[in-house]
Amino acid sequence: MVNALAPETTERVHSPRDAGSTGSAVDGRRRTRLRRRQAVVGYLFLAPTLLFFAVFLILPLGFALLLSMSRWAGFDLGDIDPVGLDNFADLFVDGSTFLAPILTNTLLFALGTVALALAGSVLVANCIDKLRLQGLWRTLYFLPIVTTVVAIGNVWKYMYEPGGLVNGVLNALGLGSVAFLQDPDTALPAVVVVQAWASVGTAILILTAGLKSIPDSYYEAAALDGAGPVTVFWKITLPLLRPSLLFVCITQFITGLQSFALIIVMTKGGPGDATNVAALEMYRQAFSYGDWGTASAAAFVLFAVVLVVTLVQLWIFRLKGEDT
Amino acid sequence: MIRRRFPWFSYLVVVTGAVLTVVPFLDMVMTSFKGPGESGTLPYRFLPEAFDLSNYRAAIDQLDLPVLFRNSVIATALITGSVLLTSSLAGYALAKLRFPGRNFIFRLVLSTMMFPPFLFFIPHFLILVHWPLVGGNDLFGRGGAGLTVSITALAMPFLVNGFGIFLMRQFMVSIPDEVLEAARIDGAGEFAVWWRIVVPQTKPVMVTLGLLTFVDAWNEYIWALLVSTANPDVMTLPVGIQLLQDYVDPTRTMPIVMAGLVLSILPVLILFLLLQKYYIRGVMLSGLK
Repeated sequence: MVNALAPETTERVHSPRDAGSTGSAVDGRRRTRLRRRQAVVGYLFLAPTLLFFAVFLILPLGFALLLSMSRWAGFDLGDIDPVGLDNFADLFVDGSTFLAPILTNTLLFALGTVALALAGSVLVANCIDKLRLQGLWRTLYFLPIVTTVVAIGNVWKYMYEPGGLVNGVLNALGLGSVAFLQDPDTALPAVVVVQAWASVGTAILILTAGLKSIPDSYYEAAALDGAGPVTVFWKITLPLLRPSLLFVCITQFITGLQSFALIIVMTKGGPGDATNVAALEMYRQAFSYGDWGTASAAAFVLFAVVLVVTLVQLWIFRLKGEDT
Repeated sequence: MIRRRFPWFSYLVVVTGAVLTVVPFLDMVMTSFKGPGESGTLPYRFLPEAFDLSNYRAAIDQLDLPVLFRNSVIATALITGSVLLTSSLAGYALAKLRFPGRNFIFRLVLSTMMFPPFLFFIPHFLILVHWPLVGGNDLFGRGGAGLTVSITALAMPFLVNGFGIFLMRQFMVSIPDEVLEAARIDGAGEFAVWWRIVVPQTKPVMVTLGLLTFVDAWNEYIWALLVSTANPDVMTLPVGIQLLQDYVDPTRTMPIVMAGLVLSILPVLILFLLLQKYYIRGVMLSGLK
């Protein structure tokens, strides 16, 4: 994932070598001893981390790759039956639901949440910037982020019910009730709204940081030229906010492509496959049907999609002369 | 152009958005106080007729809340403690010690942040099931349920966090080497240098990382669901509440579910309100989630 911090900071290296060495033989021996001691200590300090990465990163990656090219029924590791790329072929064979609707849903889900969250957060962040009590507002917008997906999913699921808040508002406005999560046409958009609602807070935070970094002199110059607030927003704020926007865009898109916890809680992928997404399908193949091979293959396909989408976004941004 | 003193449009947008954000939480709280037959009925009513506290008692009784709470606390404590410790140790080594392979390890740490979590659910689960010599397994990890029978299974895949190491390292790089060198000359070993000098200086970033980790661990759902499907004894709060929601009549028990949800998000909410400065800084640093 992309990070806000620059990955490498320039280090000021003051090794023991530079620290007042006179070049004598005694110093030399001391230096070697120090360096050897640092190496031992360094690896000692890193030992838990390296052990963890070996067991929970390297081993699983190899394991997942092996499984994705095998058929495996049971729990005995000796029964793993290599089948080459059959699992991948099965995902894309005619009549498979993986490409459509599942991958399509995944992309629509990610696109929808990014579009909604971005539009909402740009608007709100820009407006908060003009108000007092900014901390209070940001805290309010932050509530969904610190809340478990189980709470968010259940509250919204309940609000979408015929006797729930959303339909209550619709009825009060004289409109009929909508079976949001039961209707295949509305289920996916309904879940998208919730995911966007849950992620607006983070986006606001990052955009606010971006807004703060725009020099006041630009706005003063615009005011002197008599530019209205809308012009200022389109001609100054948005272009200068682009790095933050790109960052929000990429991270939210990645999150959107991968998320499924909310969907498990709200719809379990239904009705039918209307809200089924790739990560959920993978989860179900593995843990409901015990088809570890297909599930692992689906995981790698999703990984590839995430990677490609991210690279394409980065490429587009480069093309526009922006460095993220 | 006359500058408006009162930015009414901004207030309109921000207040509307804040209402949209807060109302679902209010609805949750209000529903948790509704009596039997008061929720899910038409027409919709926001306020309960009387503030009925019995749902909270029902949630505690039906959910075996103390056990869920205990499991959540243990898993969260294990994860947070381990992430802080390993991030600080590894961060120190990567920032301040010189040894062959350091740059390679740092790149490895960075790369771990790029792997999507779903890629690991299946292999992590299988690794825990086939962990040698525990939970009835033999040396080759066969025969039993492995580590999936223990609470540690909830925490295992989250004990080390690449972002945590990265964050600590970035912070520690700025600690002057002269201070560390002086301590070394005074005869302090590397462990003492880390514990006495580096750790105290990194307290703010430790709080930030600790809070981020705590919130994530407390709210984690998918992995906990997976582990407790294999062994219901290690169910956490989110999993337990979701289970209650799944198996009972939604119109009658919705208030009980909402009461359980209120109880489950309360600890993290209080902690967030107390330490939000640190949490917000953490999210801005990571930009993840």
